[in-house]
Amino acid sequence: MNRSPVALLVLTLAPALLGLAIFRAYPIGLALYESLYTTIAGERTFVGLENYVGLLTDSGFWKSLRVTLWFNLIINPLQVALALALALMFVQKLPGMAVFRLMFLIPIGISLPVAVIIWRIVLLPEGFLNGALGAIGLGPYRFLTSPDFALYSIIAIATWKGISYWMIFLVGGLQNIPQEINEAARLEGASAWQRLWLVTLPLLRPTLLFVLVADITINFLLFAPVFMLTGGGPRGSTNVLMYEAYKSGFVFGDMGRAMAIVVCLVAMLLVIVAIQFRLLSSAPAREGK
Amino acid sequence: MTRLPLLTTALAIGLTATAHAETTLTVLMIEGLDKGSMEAVADAYMAKHADVTVEIQSLPWNQFFQVSEMRLKSADAAVDLIYTDAPVVAAYAANGYILPFDAAVADEAKQKLVASSVATGTYDGKLYSLPMNSSAQVLYYNVDLLKAAGVTPPNGLTKDSVTKPDAIVKLATEDRWTFEQVAEAAKAVSGSEGGKGKPWGFAFEQFGELYQLQPLGGSLGGELISADAMTADGYLNGDAWTKAAGWWSDLFNKDNVSPRSLGFGEAAQMFTNGQLAMFVGGTWNVPAVADSSINFGIAPHPKFAEGKASTPTGSWYLSVTKASPDAAAAADFAKFAALSDEGTDVWFKTLNQLPVTNRLLDQINSDPAYDAFPASVMRLSAWESRNTAAPRPVTVAFSQLQDAFRTAFTDIANGVPVDEALDTAVDAYDQAAKRLNRK
Repeated sequence: MNRSPVALLVLTLAPALLGLAIFRAYPIGLALYESLYTTIAGERTFVGLENYVGLLTDSGFWKSLRVTLWFNLIINPLQVALALALALMFVQKLPGMAVFRLMFLIPIGISLPVAVIIWRIVLLPEGFLNGALGAIGLGPYRFLTSPDFALYSIIAIATWKGISYWMIFLVGGLQNIPQEINEAARLEGASAWQRLWLVTLPLLRPTLLFVLVADITINFLLFAPVFMLTGGGPRGSTNVLMYEAYKSGFVFGDMGRAMAIVVCLVAMLLVIVAIQFRLLSSAPAREGK
Repeated sequence: MTRLPLLTTALAIGLTATAHAETTLTVLMIEGLDKGSMEAVADAYMAKHADVTVEIQSLPWNQFFQVSEMRLKSADAAVDLIYTDAPVVAAYAANGYILPFDAAVADEAKQKLVASSVATGTYDGKLYSLPMNSSAQVLYYNVDLLKAAGVTPPNGLTKDSVTKPDAIVKLATEDRWTFEQVAEAAKAVSGSEGGKGKPWGFAFEQFGELYQLQPLGGSLGGELISADAMTADGYLNGDAWTKAAGWWSDLFNKDNVSPRSLGFGEAAQMFTNGQLAMFVGGTWNVPAVADSSINFGIAPHPKFAEGKASTPTGSWYLSVTKASPDAAAAADFAKFAALSDEGTDVWFKTLNQLPVTNRLLDQINSDPAYDAFPASVMRLSAWESRNTAAPRPVTVAFSQLQDAFRTAFTDIANGVPVDEALDTAVDAYDQAAKRLNRK
């Protein structure tokens, strides 16, 4: 029996690679391909880069890009920081922690559309939150219909839904850090703050990198709350690129433009993720040298 | 082993036999009353054409446009006729989804149907869609709420009233309320704390929608887009629309007399609950409102004091798809449904929506059966459809125009300055028009 390790390798990797090809590579390839076509007077026509050139002078696209970047600039650091804080609390051995853990796991069990519907009821002008604020003499605020509030309401909902999920990864990472290292640092006289900055966070770096990358990807592609709550408004303040692409493709039937937007979005994500990999993986490598 | 091929052959022969024995036409349309009426028309047609089967397929309203767009785009041969909303006719025609009718049908349509309805079905000089019916909007008012607020209600059609044709003309030409009057009355009803303790003063049935609000600018002579449909600049952000949008803005931001973002059917519901004193809505609300205990009346659609009367119009059309394998038979059915006396009679009697044939409109005007309330509302609508109806603009970028319009008027209601909202909408439309009209 001559068993080649290559054959085994191919065999065992095949399901994963097949999945990657069908669910990742194929749609991206399709989007790229479709972005080079457009429909003019009923005829599907190859237009090369015209869809992309069109985006350059398309104020709707640029406005939407600004909203997307601003949204991500706020939501990603916020979500990761909160998830980290929760994870640090999660691993403490304090009384009543079981209840706390249960509470923060609930959002994971609720599907996003359901969560959005519940939050809509909370945030409506005559909703629960305004009722509560009214009781102490504030409001009513138009959380979802005021250009000053809407984006932040979406951020709040997405954060509420997201942080406990990311917290679980960080808890796993924290529990992987050997107790002895912390113990040793404590005996050396390091304060809790120093232990966090100098011991825990550097050792948590691989997990943090994963969470940051995955979180940014998800938030760049966030769609459901915008679709269900604000429809991109008011004043385009929540019109993120995913929604702009959706509208272009499925409401206006302009698939070429929609695909060009999606490709731009993927390209942007690739750049951001590449930068993150460099920033977060360089430090430990230097230590190793 | 010999059985299987035999069976398949038999099946194949059977299938071809049925396919040749008769033509099957499939109509794709929306669910609801319209479907039932189309089935009645189909039955009448099939009674005369034994070799044709007409099947009606339906989709819920909220999926209809997306699904039908996808099926048309993929040249689905299983759809022969498509129920077409007035404003998408141009886009369907430009995208090559539907076929034009021949000149003989177009001539017959011009002769038998209301001109504005035929115009909306026409693109690039050819008739692509035949109108099935039209629509009209009227002002519903709650007599008791207005009187309690010290407002004399408008002259209108009320319970037990009898209105002859000349009285309809007087009502529509002399007694029509102005939007300024509507706003004043609404303020009297709701005070400054609309929705809190007191009823709301006024609402439009379809919040922020182009179909519903086009008369605001139209009354002041404002068009939405240029005649060549290439730009909205100077039109949607011109003087007339700026003034009209200012009036709309005041409803929410200054006077606080109108609820924001009413969902589908909510205005009629609030009206029948006594929470809303007036609303402009479709005549399709009449049965539900008449069923309630509200003491109400129906007045002609308002206009601006210095403007002219302008009212929404347009409803559903029937078109033959380009992918239909039996286009000639499909066109014949469409002709029967929209132009023949028999087809239009069945459609009108089962659906009871405002017709577009001059014959039925004349009948509504002269038939004493329409003297009494609420049938007299149909007579008022018939008058409006021939005198004040302003069709929506014909443009391949209508979806984009409608979306930009809705966004602008929703934003204005939410406090965005009028100029900014309208300029944004103009930008959005102009970019879409430029993109869709490139050759």
